[in-house]
Amino acid sequence: MNRLVRAELIKARASRATIALGAVAPVFCASWVVLQVIVPAASDADRVANVYNMAQQAYVFTMILGILGMAGEFRHRTITWSFLVTPRRGPVLAAKLIAYGLAGLVIAVLSAAATLVAGLVLLPANGHPALTSGVPAVLAGAVLSTTLYAPLGVALAVLVGSRVVAVVLAALLFMYGDGLLAWLAPEVFRWLPTGAARALGGMRAEGGALLPAWGGGLLFAGYVAVTALAARLLTLRRDVT
Amino acid sequence: MTSISVDHVSKTFGKVVAVDDLSFEAPAGAVTAFLGPNGAGKTTTLRVLLGLVTPTAGEATIGGAPYRELGRPLEHVGAVLESSGFHPGLTAATHLEAVRTAAGLAAARVGEVLDQVGLAGAAHRRTGGFSLGMRQRLALATALLGEPSALVLDEPANGLDPVGMRWLRGFLRAYAHDGNTVLISTHVLSEVERIADHVVIVSAGRLRWSGPPTAGSGLEDLYLEVAG
Repeated sequence: MNRLVRAELIKARASRATIALGAVAPVFCASWVVLQVIVPAASDADRVANVYNMAQQAYVFTMILGILGMAGEFRHRTITWSFLVTPRRGPVLAAKLIAYGLAGLVIAVLSAAATLVAGLVLLPANGHPALTSGVPAVLAGAVLSTTLYAPLGVALAVLVGSRVVAVVLAALLFMYGDGLLAWLAPEVFRWLPTGAARALGGMRAEGGALLPAWGGGLLFAGYVAVTALAARLLTLRRDVT
Repeated sequence: MTSISVDHVSKTFGKVVAVDDLSFEAPAGAVTAFLGPNGAGKTTTLRVLLGLVTPTAGEATIGGAPYRELGRPLEHVGAVLESSGFHPGLTAATHLEAVRTAAGLAAARVGEVLDQVGLAGAAHRRTGGFSLGMRQRLALATALLGEPSALVLDEPANGLDPVGMRWLRGFLRAYAHDGNTVLISTHVLSEVERIADHVVIVSAGRLRWSGPPTAGSGLEDLYLEVAG
């Protein structure tokens, strides 16, 4: 397993998509910080929480990273080499999930660091407190949830097969679909993947309370595990033609 | 000695019968040509042999074991399949390094196989800019990484220039002469006549003929008669 993970990391590191997504994600998070510093907030504590919650915005990039990493194997037909090297397909998928989880962790940490630096600079510059005692937990939760989106992207790509369809589907599900449901039925949102991930990152929902961070974390990890299990079952059965 | 055996293999995709009760042997120390028209079931058979497609019935083995049961398969069999590709953003060396790492092979093998197939000069170029012939050479380099005792090649001559064809012919002859097994699917009958020790002809998924190649224009006539 170790060598399979190392092989996946070699491929991920050499891909320009990994570099580009890893470079853009921290900038994206820092940009959201600028917005959260200037928009009105109910209190200083809320503003500080909103600012550091932005570390979670990197999830889009880690999810796309996972999708591209797996769907690219189908698109470029490199999956054949993977299965020739390791005919037992379960370990191939497991290595992919782990490797992209690690790559996602790096992007998540960089994004959280960029968010922290932006917050530490911009909040005091605008006359707000720079930190509260809850910030470390918010950033740690954001790193965890952002990281988990990468293996979720890998599993989604296996289930869908097509890179474009997987990206569109993921965007619809995790960026707009959940948001729409949060608006239509706030009490349901907390049980959905996005609601669970936001709870893990210490975010607040409009209208309905989210689960506690630990509960959201467990639920989101469960969603990722179920999706990965479905991907594994499909991978084992599918003919490579 | 690693011989290849296809034993009553059938494969259907929905209502389409791709391979129908096909049996043949590719002995060690010989080049076996696997011939047939487009859609005859050659590629599906090779994919069954390599564990990429699950047969509806029958079994294909390499050295007596199904591919999926081979420990460290790259050290037993090298494969070049028509549909295997490369990530365009990766260099040839990076692609080989990833496969080598996954297979647990010695680091020196990357340079050795690049030299072997004449791609050392393009080792650090991205594969997205490779010609078809260069991609074929890189596929062959990947197949050779594990120093296997059998090669399964699907149309390996596609895109090769005359120099490449000549090199491939010499390489495969020498490889088989050393006691290794070569199973090669191709449409180039003139090449088959020059390198093959054994010929298997399939059509509509069924075995039509197998035996040693005939001299002169005999193979083409035979092919057209049994597979045409």
